[in-house]
Amino acid sequence: MKNKLLSIQEAVEAYTWDGMTYCNGAALPVGSCSIAFGKEMVKQGRKNLNVICHCGSQQINLLAAVGAVDRVEVGFSGLEVYGFAAGLNRAVSSGKTLIEDYSNGAMALRFFGGAMNWPFVPATVCIHNDQQWCSADHPEEYPCTRKIPEITDPFTGKKYGAMRTIRPDVAAIHVTMADIYGNAIMLGTEWNRFEMSRASGKVVLVADQIVHTDCMRQYPNLVRIISEVVDAVVYWPYAAWPQASPGLYDSDEEHMFYMNKMMKTEADTREFCDQWVNSWNSHEEYMALIGEDKIVKISQTATAFLMDPYRKWIRSDAEIRELQSRTKG
Amino acid sequence: MEYTKQEFMAITTGREIKDGELIILGVGLPMLAGYFAQLNHAPDLRPFTEGGVYGSTPVGGLPWGIECNRISANATSFTNAIDALGFLVLSGRADNAVIGAAQVDKYGNVNTTGIWDEPPWKAGKYLPPKVRLNGSGGASDISVGCKRYLIMASHEKRRFMERVDYISSAGYLDGGDRRERCGFVGGGPAAIISTLGILRPDPQTKEFWLDAYFPFTTIDEVKNNTAWELKVSPDVKIVPEPTAEELKNLRTVDATGSLRKNG
Repeated sequence: MKNKLLSIQEAVEAYTWDGMTYCNGAALPVGSCSIAFGKEMVKQGRKNLNVICHCGSQQINLLAAVGAVDRVEVGFSGLEVYGFAAGLNRAVSSGKTLIEDYSNGAMALRFFGGAMNWPFVPATVCIHNDQQWCSADHPEEYPCTRKIPEITDPFTGKKYGAMRTIRPDVAAIHVTMADIYGNAIMLGTEWNRFEMSRASGKVVLVADQIVHTDCMRQYPNLVRIISEVVDAVVYWPYAAWPQASPGLYDSDEEHMFYMNKMMKTEADTREFCDQWVNSWNSHEEYMALIGEDKIVKISQTATAFLMDPYRKWIRSDAEIRELQSRTKG
Repeated sequence: MEYTKQEFMAITTGREIKDGELIILGVGLPMLAGYFAQLNHAPDLRPFTEGGVYGSTPVGGLPWGIECNRISANATSFTNAIDALGFLVLSGRADNAVIGAAQVDKYGNVNTTGIWDEPPWKAGKYLPPKVRLNGSGGASDISVGCKRYLIMASHEKRRFMERVDYISSAGYLDGGDRRERCGFVGGGPAAIISTLGILRPDPQTKEFWLDAYFPFTTIDEVKNNTAWELKVSPDVKIVPEPTAEELKNLRTVDATGSLRKNG
């Protein structure tokens, strides 16, 4: 097996480009999402993105706020109890970003269909409502018949819809822990990550912890993302911050509200990027920015016990640095 | 007894939930109503979230999201969206659900997607909204698949509309047997619980009428805050006030007091 460790800069350089179809997994608005990876995309100036979200998160909120997103497909675009996604909504209302709406269940099925390499999936949802009749890709047509066309069940003659499946160019998937080969264990709901990892052309894992492969051998049933479908592994503790990672840290309530508030205007978004996106390169700098007090606070999570079975396999920073240097050799 | 309208609405919604039901709870008020019911009168309720978090109860207050650590600290299973929204909801297996609404119309159609000056159905085209909301999330799946479900909404004229701007989650569409003809596996919305009372669908026309109102309001006030000509049930009732026990249970679930913050 191949050691797939890359730095976050290398991974963004190698696996993202302007105009790509990009998937941010798990894209949970409060929980798991590869947010640090999205920040690095902003730093490297990626633009004209077609983002497949499933749910919104602070990642799509930021990418849309800086004007990097032309189009987004989504089941839910908000930040749940943290409010509407101000940056994304600004981009949508101004017409900068086209938004194509589906249901959350539909997004999951479309990933599943993509993983199967099917052309479409039959839809019992997103039909007979505006998710079928309204298409941002065909705005002049209402009710739209091209987004989710009607199909006939060949066995019963009943009418349903056909939804396009999803095959993104690249998915950057946040996971709790991975080994250096790309086997991963996720704590908390996996949401769409199982299907997404098989539907995407390339997969980059953004892992809060790197563990020994012996951990995977102890819990093989829990390894839902397998090295066979993974291209790169980025080690980045607190990668989902200010969102949560079950077992490791809670969402940063103060920063969640603050970040969303700053996404409301272009000027504030620039200020936010200066302070929180463009101001770090190394992981040490990233951690210093979050601040020690905050790290301690969000790490005192009621879910910490979920990590207990895995702790003995966690690799140290020094070990990972050594392994990372070997990737380059 | 001191309580807020939001608390009364959550308790009223909770009373609609039966013990033993397999129920999917959306984030925010719906979750509070559901977990209140579990603590108050439905110990064998089987709640889950659309991410596939099973067997848990909130820890430390209202969860920030359906996947928040506050709902992940004592789960018996974590699965995924295909499982929760597909196998359990779209399949027709789940008994009940609670969803929110920015706008709801007289047939229980819900809009959570956007607000337009001229909505798509009037304009004949789909332009960007004046205000983008969140989209349907799992509520559209719930509206198709759950055996029945409950809608919670703030009772204002701009929200209780003759026709919503955008149907994110289909209720009875344009009424009568239209929903059945669409072939949806689930039964549709059983009630709208608002900040003023409870609306239920007429069994034939499926138009929502006033079934009960809160003791602090009047039938006229409810009508004045509804944009369609609201019919009133012949045996319209007054919703019983929260008991001390109910309030205690609700506040145990709402440990951070989110329902007491804005009256």
